[in-house]
Amino acid sequence: MSLNYHIVLKIFGLLCLVLGIAMLPSILMSYLHDSPSVLFGFIITSLPLLLLGILILLTTKNIPRAFRIRDGYFAVTFCWMISSLLGAFPYFFSGVFPNFVDALFESTAAFTTTGCSVTSGMPLPMGIVLWKATSSWLGGLSLLIFVVSILPALGINTLNIGTYGSTSPTLNQIKTKIADSSKYLYLIYISFTILEFILLSFSEMSSFEALINTLGSVSTNVITGDLTSIASYDSLYIESVITGFTFLASVNFMLYYYILHGKSNHIFRDIEFRVFTSMLLVSSLLISLSLYFSGTYPSMQEALRMGIFQTVSFSTTSGYTLTDYSLWPSFTLAILVTLMLIGGCYASTSGSFKVIRFIVIIRLILRGFRKRLHPRSVVAVRVGKTVLSAETVSLITAFAMLYALLFLMTCLVVSIDNLDMMTSITAAAGILSNTGLAFGDAGTVADFSIFSEPIRLFLAFMMVVGRLELFTVLILFLPSFWSGDR
Amino acid sequence: MNLNWNVIFRVTGALFIVIALTMLPSLAVAAFYNETNIIYAFVKTMIPSILIGGLLLFLTKPRTGRTKVRDGYLIVALCWIVSPCIAAVPFVIAGEIPNFIDAFFEMCSGFSTTGSSILTDIEAISKGLLFWRSFTHWIGGMGILIFAIALLPSLGINGQAIAKAEAPGPTLDKLTPKLSDTAKMLYLLYLSFTVIETVLLLLGGLSLFDALVHTFGTVGTGGFSSYNTSIAHFDSAYVDMVISVFMILSGINFNLYFIFFRHGFSDFIKDSELKLFLIIIGLSTVLIGFTLYGAGEYESMGISLRYALFQTATILSTSGYATANFDLWPTFCKMILLLLMLIGGCSSSTGGGIKVIRLLVLFKLVKRGLALKLHRKAIVNLRLGGKPLPVDTVSAISGFLFLYVMTIIAGTIVISLDGFNLLTSMSAVITCLGNVGPGFDVIGPVMNFSVFSDWSTLILALLMLTGRLELFTMFLLLTPRFWNPDK
Repeated sequence: MSLNYHIVLKIFGLLCLVLGIAMLPSILMSYLHDSPSVLFGFIITSLPLLLLGILILLTTKNIPRAFRIRDGYFAVTFCWMISSLLGAFPYFFSGVFPNFVDALFESTAAFTTTGCSVTSGMPLPMGIVLWKATSSWLGGLSLLIFVVSILPALGINTLNIGTYGSTSPTLNQIKTKIADSSKYLYLIYISFTILEFILLSFSEMSSFEALINTLGSVSTNVITGDLTSIASYDSLYIESVITGFTFLASVNFMLYYYILHGKSNHIFRDIEFRVFTSMLLVSSLLISLSLYFSGTYPSMQEALRMGIFQTVSFSTTSGYTLTDYSLWPSFTLAILVTLMLIGGCYASTSGSFKVIRFIVIIRLILRGFRKRLHPRSVVAVRVGKTVLSAETVSLITAFAMLYALLFLMTCLVVSIDNLDMMTSITAAAGILSNTGLAFGDAGTVADFSIFSEPIRLFLAFMMVVGRLELFTVLILFLPSFWSGDR
Repeated sequence: MNLNWNVIFRVTGALFIVIALTMLPSLAVAAFYNETNIIYAFVKTMIPSILIGGLLLFLTKPRTGRTKVRDGYLIVALCWIVSPCIAAVPFVIAGEIPNFIDAFFEMCSGFSTTGSSILTDIEAISKGLLFWRSFTHWIGGMGILIFAIALLPSLGINGQAIAKAEAPGPTLDKLTPKLSDTAKMLYLLYLSFTVIETVLLLLGGLSLFDALVHTFGTVGTGGFSSYNTSIAHFDSAYVDMVISVFMILSGINFNLYFIFFRHGFSDFIKDSELKLFLIIIGLSTVLIGFTLYGAGEYESMGISLRYALFQTATILSTSGYATANFDLWPTFCKMILLLLMLIGGCSSSTGGGIKVIRLLVLFKLVKRGLALKLHRKAIVNLRLGGKPLPVDTVSAISGFLFLYVMTIIAGTIVISLDGFNLLTSMSAVITCLGNVGPGFDVIGPVMNFSVFSDWSTLILALLMLTGRLELFTMFLLLTPRFWNPDK
């Protein structure tokens, strides 16, 4: 059976319309502050997109036809790829990035909330910075839609496991209310945005900077450009607000749904939340202690401040840099890389492997021990009180292995550029986990212009793969995806 | 249910005597080179060990009670911890490695056929101890073959299930009707590899001492040399080739050689693990060779390929000899070598690492995962060499892979406390856990492990044994359930 191209076209039209509208604030901003060429870049992208979108939506009629798993995978991958591609035009046409690969990299990094850039330190026009932040915010929102609404609608096991104990309703049981619950999640996302913006407005930041940083941090991203870096404010208040909101954004959003329904005790019963927070606490403490005792920071206070900020930045895969941590003791770096590879919670805007999968993996290892002592025993894998089905376990196993394989492959491809080993390895981890950081002999790297052009293109692709839970993209490379139901 | 301490002590006692007896050849070498204090060091180790061993044997009853799975695990783990402890004593007594932890590291490296060394100047060590150091590779290589092929299955009915799970592939029962026969053939094979390589190296102009030392290191996939510059000392393409070939041969599943002799070459080469192993070698050699030539590291394509092949073989078979300082090579080459360190040799070989067979299963699991996502109702069985893989085997393999990765991560975090850069810490853990030998940067192929603190040295030494015993054997001893199975 061929793909449902009718729906794909419709989605494309919708996408054009959304992107066209999303560019309007940037158009306004560049009209007020930037040179005409930037304005031109936006208008020449936005107008055709709007027209095309309206045209497609008007002409395609609603022919009801089954939407199958295959269409879902294709549509999602298609959406991210096309958004990144269309979103790259303003960067390119405004002349800020004369090279289209760079524009594409920049746009992909924003939509996947990875946050690295290839600006080589060049200041970006305000309109462009706003567009980056907008696309990152949209990227965060669409990831929530993808995980919370689309994956369950496709009948794919979600990983909201171990969350609510055995007596409480699981996501499946409230499936009828799925549209309702998803709506809540978007509202929560939007209210986080408003709340953080208000809080940041009280600080030394200008309202533009507050807006950009807000859009970045709720989507666990960091926006660079013509902005004062976080470090130069030297404000504990700003750091705390940003740390707080990146943390909130990397917790399973389903939890907020339960809080809103007056079931706040679920939070503390949620095993993923508990593991995530304890991981953050222990890591922050270890890192701070190491920073203090190694003499990197003279006072414990300073060590704690740096330790906590950088731990949360890595663990939520947002990628903020407060200091040149590449000079920190390697013990702290080892912990930071590990956190980056684990990432935040499922159904959040953070990327990487996800805490819940990590928990399942640990459970599988423990079961291995038991199996060796009692080879004939049959032990179910439990997370909290939930018993995982064999199917879920095998999918998580496959995911973990694919993650490892892709990570190693990315390391290998990146190393062609002949940067030092550590930079290559951390860059691969930073891209696949959507953190967008690397470090090595070259110091702290958030600017990927050190990589050659083909590698940048490859990295942009890997960002999308990492963002869409690996399988979604790679499944398109399976021959049987295209050959149909033989 | 209690552990069968009688058997455990009895085996340990026997081990004391065996290790003491295996020092005899080294004693002879020391006598030949007139190294009197080394002779004393050996004698001072051998006599007490024989006494302790004899005492243990005297105090325990011969063969009473049944050994269970747990006893088997404890015996195997104890054997591998006790052996390096005894073997380290001569080094300390002779004063050539005064620190016991360093000597323990060196001997763990020997028995686990890792080949990492804390010695800064190998050539300053006396001949007797150098011989002993390499001889432990040879014993260790044999030990691991016995462990994987003969001992695990003989742990009882349950043990057989474990052994199958640990080492999928051609099963033993088809090879010879009796286990003791398999073991006998195994020694014969191992011995003939040793003799052939020694002869070939002698033909290459090496002295008998050098030939033996490097043969022990090769067939055990260890990597101890008697020279500071390792194989590069000989600077001979012939020696390179002989050692490369034997490293690769030792990295192949030894069971396959039986198949080779019984059923001929076509059945031998049909094995999917072997095929993947050879593909990896070929591909890595070509990629590294071309990169080296392209980067202008060596003047001709031939020389580039020669160094590429040797380094690929030495890392993939987890031997750890060196003919070039690959730490100075382009990053792409280094990254390939790092991946090879993780992969390691075939199952039931003397090589370490994750093992090619598990990599094969990993690929299949990922492929099945993709298929499952697309056709959710599909039931896809994993097949290996035409036979379906039992679910238990698959879950044992995935458990192993996860534990391997976790061990590397946890180990890296602990070792990084020493303050060496991340690459050094990480590659130290990977190389020790995979029983390879050299790492990168501070512990590169021309460097050594003497820089680490005592704590890290000890942890790395234990990691070598852990890796050698396929992880679970060692880690099981740390679980409370092992000591309280009835709870």
